[in-house]
Amino acid sequence: MLVRMKKNNLLFILCLFFIPSFSQISPNEKLVYTASYNMSGLMTQIAQVTMETELVKTSKKSFLHLNFEAATYSKWDSFFKVRDQYESYVDPVTLRTSLYTRSIYEGGYTKTEKYIFSANGLSINSTSSIKNKPEIKKSFSVGNTTRDVISMIYKLRTVDFSNFKSGQSVGFIIAFDEKEYPVSVKYMGKETVTAGNLGKKECYVLSIAAKTDKLKGKDKNLIWLTADSRKVPVLVRFSIPVGTGQLALSISSGK
Amino acid sequence: MRKFYLIAAYVFAILSLIMTILPMGTIALLPTILTLIFSVLAFLNSTGKQKLIPRIVLIIAILTMMVVLGKAVLVKNNVLNDKQFEQKKEENKKENMKDLEGL
Repeated sequence: MLVRMKKNNLLFILCLFFIPSFSQISPNEKLVYTASYNMSGLMTQIAQVTMETELVKTSKKSFLHLNFEAATYSKWDSFFKVRDQYESYVDPVTLRTSLYTRSIYEGGYTKTEKYIFSANGLSINSTSSIKNKPEIKKSFSVGNTTRDVISMIYKLRTVDFSNFKSGQSVGFIIAFDEKEYPVSVKYMGKETVTAGNLGKKECYVLSIAAKTDKLKGKDKNLIWLTADSRKVPVLVRFSIPVGTGQLALSISSGK
Repeated sequence: MRKFYLIAAYVFAILSLIMTILPMGTIALLPTILTLIFSVLAFLNSTGKQKLIPRIVLIIAILTMMVVLGKAVLVKNNVLNDKQFEQKKEENKKENMKDLEGL
């Protein structure tokens, strides 16, 4: 254990000196997914999901901008148009959130949310508004490990699963809809799957569970991360109250 | 029995037409295939002039199937360049940078 800690520390120091100080997340990465929804047993492609990273600088600090977008394909726009954007500005090394925003448009329903995390990470100042309703501002206390849902996905990619045993879990706490939710990620094993332009890749299969009514079923919300240093999410299968679906990687660019 | 086959063929024909208009992809083939099956069964159980309606439903099913397959092959998935969304993203980014500057 001690040896491993020392190894990890050494790796961390090496990263600090020889690699620009980023976690395993590259600042110019773009991942494009095809989102499909299960209709009567057949997966129907409905939207494009994009995850992008970019380094942004203010006069005092640098942030890693994590951008998540979902947009329905044009053929669906007249029936149910979706234009969702989730953004997270995090520390490039620790991936600790400073600012999180959510702006959704789903078939005419709109909602915006902004969380400003305090410097010590113990409180969030939130501003939210739902279509035709006044803006609500509030402040709520959180644990110092609480993060937003987008940075959680990227933080998950920094976890070393190589020594995990099947059934072993890692936990996160996320703030969503002005509440904290514990999220548990269980390592299920390895599997080789098709990963868009990356070809066939051996992946870690992880099961995501959260104490929320937004996710349904046991081990029905799964994510496949490439079993390499990038840990690219190549496939996501989800089960929500209104059905099941998946996100499949089509294009991965950047390193 | 002919009546049952005919009603089933009608119902699935209407369903397949609706699903072909909607962007349901190849899922529209399900009611189309059922229309084909029931219209053929209605046709086989018909005599003389009775064969006309099942024949028409059968033609509708074949045409619907061609449209569904044609759309699946020729129409590619694409996201429209949504100027309003792009503008909103730019505005969000500017506002976010202001917030970050204050941190």
